[in-house]
Amino acid sequence: MAAASVYTPAGFDFSNEVRNSFLTERGIPLPKATSTGTTIVGCLFKDGIVLGADTRATEGPIVADKNCEKIHYISESIRCCGAGTAADTEFTTALISSNIELHALTTGRKPRVVTAMTMLKQMLFQYQGQIGAALVLGGVDATGPHLFTIHPHGSTDKLPYVTMGSGSLAAMAVFENGWRPNMERAEALELVTAAVSAGIFNDLGSGSNVDACVITATHTEMLRNFVKPNERVQKERSYTFRRGTTKFKKEDIRSLVVSEDVIHTGEAMDTS
Amino acid sequence: MTSIGTGYDLSASTYSPDGRIFQVEYANKAVENSGTAIGLRVKDGVVLAVEKLIHSKLLVPEANRRIQTVDRHVGLVSAGLLADGRNLANRSRDEASGYKDTYRQPIPLKFLADRLGMYVQTYTLYSSVRPFGCSTILGACDKTGPTLYIIEPSGVAYGYHGAAVGKGRQLAKTELEKIKLSELTMREAVMEAARIIHLVHDDQKEKDFELEITWVGEETKGVHLPVPKDLLEEASRRAKAALEEEIES
Amino acid sequence: MEAISVDMNRLKAGEVNLGTSIMAVQFKDGVVIGADSRTTTGSYIANRVTDKLTHIHDRIYCCRSGSAADTQAIADVVHQHLQMYTQMVGGAPSVHVAANVFQDLCYTNKDNLSAGIIVAGWDKEVGPSVYNIPLGGGLFRQPWAIGGSGSTYVYGYCDATYQEGWGREETVNFVKNTLSLAMSRDGSSGGVIRMCIITEEGVERAFVPGNELPKFWEGNEVLGAPLKTKEVSDAVPMPVDA
Repeated sequence: MAAASVYTPAGFDFSNEVRNSFLTERGIPLPKATSTGTTIVGCLFKDGIVLGADTRATEGPIVADKNCEKIHYISESIRCCGAGTAADTEFTTALISSNIELHALTTGRKPRVVTAMTMLKQMLFQYQGQIGAALVLGGVDATGPHLFTIHPHGSTDKLPYVTMGSGSLAAMAVFENGWRPNMERAEALELVTAAVSAGIFNDLGSGSNVDACVITATHTEMLRNFVKPNERVQKERSYTFRRGTTKFKKEDIRSLVVSEDVIHTGEAMDTS
Repeated sequence: MTSIGTGYDLSASTYSPDGRIFQVEYANKAVENSGTAIGLRVKDGVVLAVEKLIHSKLLVPEANRRIQTVDRHVGLVSAGLLADGRNLANRSRDEASGYKDTYRQPIPLKFLADRLGMYVQTYTLYSSVRPFGCSTILGACDKTGPTLYIIEPSGVAYGYHGAAVGKGRQLAKTELEKIKLSELTMREAVMEAARIIHLVHDDQKEKDFELEITWVGEETKGVHLPVPKDLLEEASRRAKAALEEEIES
Repeated sequence: MEAISVDMNRLKAGEVNLGTSIMAVQFKDGVVIGADSRTTTGSYIANRVTDKLTHIHDRIYCCRSGSAADTQAIADVVHQHLQMYTQMVGGAPSVHVAANVFQDLCYTNKDNLSAGIIVAGWDKEVGPSVYNIPLGGGLFRQPWAIGGSGSTYVYGYCDATYQEGWGREETVNFVKNTLSLAMSRDGSSGGVIRMCIITEEGVERAFVPGNELPKFWEGNEVLGAPLKTKEVSDAVPMPVDA
């Protein structure tokens, strides 16, 4: 194979920027990236953190995936919900997860949530918002439970309850109304479910099921499809057309299967 | 120096079996061949003095100064290979101006001495380079008061009340130890410095010498300057008188 | 107003903004710094209890305004730089040094940053001091400094009120009142007031909840209120003979 004649450096390539902006100006819009128009939430409770997310992925007006996973693994007791460009959230969390694992191995200690937060914010700041990842990072470490939001430009907030994505307003309304300090696990899980549900039902960008993840000092429980409020159910009626609904004049049945006969000619090769 | 010729003294990157680096020790020998330089850290400032040996009658008197200024508040004098000393002075100036660029305040001498020590030390690590052939005295007066350091060819940088390097350092140190440095004023220290330099100078063996003295402290408003001519002359005169008195008695 | 609109345009689309009221005032024994707690993305309040008073060193803090991401990143870099400085020089940096490191970053990267920072603290050399680093990356030492979008509303108040020689309580009240006034007029500022009192002894935090902010003239209903008619006097009109 011929080697590439032009050197291409690693990382993002902006060489089509001029062409693309020209095309956009002429009324040809760029193709849209799959974005998780999303509801993701996190909430502090007595023993740890509960994270929650919906499971809809969209491409503009189209639902691209009805049951995707938005709670990503960072470490055993640190998880991260992603909103924004699906590919960006997927790969940034995977990269930081990998680096956190290496960091834990070199230090010989369990990773801290602030470490993951700092790695994420430094990476996102470096790319000046070009990586469209809006994250909710939560977990429990040696210093206790922590919950952060990280915006695409690299700014962070530390709060007892957080929401992000297009459904964040609906979810925040639920939290502002229902959150109290020192909640029990069950209460917190219920509140998170209610917050994500508010996003699912009131935000067009969010939908399908509720994923939840409960992180405590000793145990992490990933509750995939914790609630499924949008199950496909048996249709009450059959909508299939009766045989003979459409009249026809002629019937012609052809075989679409091509059959071939292989005829050997000449002498067979000597394989002795 | 019994290990000369064993092969361990050819490179700074090789230890001798008893854990020494001969190239560094030889660098110290280079220092011992040079005119004495001393530094006195006293109550209100620092005084630097050097016995500048005149190797040619054709040299312009009082030119070719041996004590250099690194920053407004830092003076430097080195003994040994003088070209090495100038290199170190230039490096010091880079450090001082770099510090001022970042922090907009004069460099603390402790910081400068540490950085220079690190710089000198790197020349003791590689076979491709030769360690610095000079011991350097740094003196300064800043908001924390007067400070005095010596940087040796090995890269160690120690702080002192009184410092002496070069040929007559042993005698100079003995003299410095007799003085109550922390009670002296700079003017008194100038007299002492002149006396010591004259004392350690060996008239019989050595060529002529020129006495060079600088100071930095309250009297100079924290600026490193040569001492005024009249003061230098008086110090020189008194030093000679004291010396003669000593010989007579 | 012009200054504010320029402020906003410098932010990248969708960026988290600290449309802010921040302040620092020096007094005899230390400095008082304060800030509102509102962080916005467009018209949404992303955080209503933000802490814009950021620890830089033992006795040095900064107040951040502008882009949240930019100011956090700068503060992190300066924090790290001064940790290194402390180890190398063998002592705490002065506020002057911290302010200069901030200024260097803000000036050399001015084309890519929207950050208005006030650095304040206490040091051994000069005691309390306040440094203002506005948008272009300048550096100004001031007895008091205000910043952020809310500050434009209260320059007059500060000029008219500030006096030299105040003690701690008077300074705290000055900060509290100024920020309340700024927060009430500036839509991008609001929430609670967070304050730090930095002295030789240490750093003390103070907090004013949103429902306990100092109150000033809040206006009376003028349009909806019934028109005040001319008062009818009780006096009986003098009978006029025909």
